[in-house]
Amino acid sequence: MTWLVWRQYRAQAAIASVLLAAAAAVILADGLQIASRWHAMLVSCAGNSACLQQQSPLVNGVVSDLPYISLIVPVVLGMLWGAPLVAHELESRTTDFAWAQSVTRTRWLTVKAGWLLLAATACGGVIAALTTWWSGPVNAQSASAFAPGQFDTQGIVPVGYAVFAMALGIAAGTVARRTLPAIAVALGGFIALRLVIADVLRQHYMAAVTTYYNVTGSYTPRGQAWVLAQGAVSSTGVTVSRGFGDLVPALPASCLRLLPAPAAGKNGSMNAVFSCMQAHGWRGFVTYQPAGRYWPFQGIETGIYVLLAAALIAITFAVVRRRDA
Amino acid sequence: MSAAIETHELSKRYRRVSALTECTVTVPQGRVCALVGPNGAGKTTLLRMLAGLARPTGGTATVLDGVPRQDPAFLAEIGFLAQEIPLYRRLSAEDHIRIGAHMNPRWDGALARTQLKELRIPLGQRVGTLSGGQRAQVALALTLAKRPRLLLLDEPVAALDPLARRNFLATLTAAVADAGGGLTVVLSSHLITDLQRVCDHLILLAASRVQLFGDIAALLARHKVQGKHVTLEELVLAYMGADEAPAGRHLTTVGEDS
Repeated sequence: MTWLVWRQYRAQAAIASVLLAAAAAVILADGLQIASRWHAMLVSCAGNSACLQQQSPLVNGVVSDLPYISLIVPVVLGMLWGAPLVAHELESRTTDFAWAQSVTRTRWLTVKAGWLLLAATACGGVIAALTTWWSGPVNAQSASAFAPGQFDTQGIVPVGYAVFAMALGIAAGTVARRTLPAIAVALGGFIALRLVIADVLRQHYMAAVTTYYNVTGSYTPRGQAWVLAQGAVSSTGVTVSRGFGDLVPALPASCLRLLPAPAAGKNGSMNAVFSCMQAHGWRGFVTYQPAGRYWPFQGIETGIYVLLAAALIAITFAVVRRRDA
Repeated sequence: MSAAIETHELSKRYRRVSALTECTVTVPQGRVCALVGPNGAGKTTLLRMLAGLARPTGGTATVLDGVPRQDPAFLAEIGFLAQEIPLYRRLSAEDHIRIGAHMNPRWDGALARTQLKELRIPLGQRVGTLSGGQRAQVALALTLAKRPRLLLLDEPVAALDPLARRNFLATLTAAVADAGGGLTVVLSSHLITDLQRVCDHLILLAASRVQLFGDIAALLARHKVQGKHVTLEELVLAYMGADEAPAGRHLTTVGEDS
């Protein structure tokens, strides 16, 4: 059975390996450059973090999007390998050949899907390792490994995405029985689920921490925390977190008078306003997921995707076993 | 000797359409059975249920003393060749022979290679580039290499030219002879002259029901018309009209000899 899978996929495996190697070369070359610039910055700033943050960003433009390859690789594998796995065999009727051998459909699917899921895990792992390494200096400079966009492209979550995208492609192809619709479902489903989980669910994996501070001062959570919201809250619970547009209608009239005239521009000071706000019982707040939760969050998110993949694979088995060939 | 195939009121419904209705037939071991009937009569459905690829919605089938099922031991006994001659078009015959070796317990790859070499079919060429006749021969050789005890062939010669058809049937006849009674064949086709040459048993389906089945010689003897033998083709045509007229009315009106 394994030999059949190898014979069917060896050409594609070779192409994928070459592409993966090319991507690795690019990431390595670029990553080494970034690392050396970061090293130079560390030396010139002598470890002063304020100095480091004032340096120009290590990456910008197209290069800063490079880690997204660890999202693209999983979904492309799901579309090109997962979706046709069963669907293409049904379309070309080769299931009539494969299922007429002395091998049950369950075993046939176990071996085929098993190898492809393994391949997805391996590709996801390799690409995630590369982007994680590449992102190290960038994370350090901007203290942002936990932020959306960075969290998604590093650590172990890309492996979960790869397993899920592959399983989604396989399941879609099995249910739809046609490759093209399955490719569309694999792409659309992956993007949709990623949006829902990254934008809505992720911040609730654990209850966020809120720290209050003197509104005239400031507070930064330690390490590479994920800041969900920051602003000021009044004694009656009115919250302001989005700048002047929100602030002005919420301010008590006595503080409103202290607002610098628009003509003053940047020279106008907000200190008087903040002191007034503090006198009226306002406090500064920051709601965040502490840096220490980075790996638990990585684990939870990977677990969610792997469980969903398992459910999709279970559906695939049920359909292949039950449906008439 | 027990029957290779025994069905009892075997039925298959697809939602509201009945593909096969209460099919009760027997095929003794070692026979070559012709499965005939108009398109949509249920021939493919019957074959696929016997091969364990489709599930009956009613009745029972006993194939080689077991129920058709997803079980390596059962599947190893059955050689099934579907209508579309399914092969991996980008793989060669040799690749298929090696795949078969990995997927079957008693695989006779040497037999397949010898057979294809005798027919001068290139083993290393992608099967997608072979002619229809050659592809059918490759598929048949692969099916035979499995060393099955029951061969189920669904219109394998439909798309072949007369010469390729003759070669195909010659290979089939030789395989049956080699097996010395250990191989039973069910072969569906519209080409009755071909079937007459290789088959000794008949199942005739029309409108999803069995119209006639049994030993061909006995059936022909039973349907003498005014003392004269009818041909298999005449017999089949008479019963095929079943969806328009009562079964066998043609012959009965002329006078069935029973």
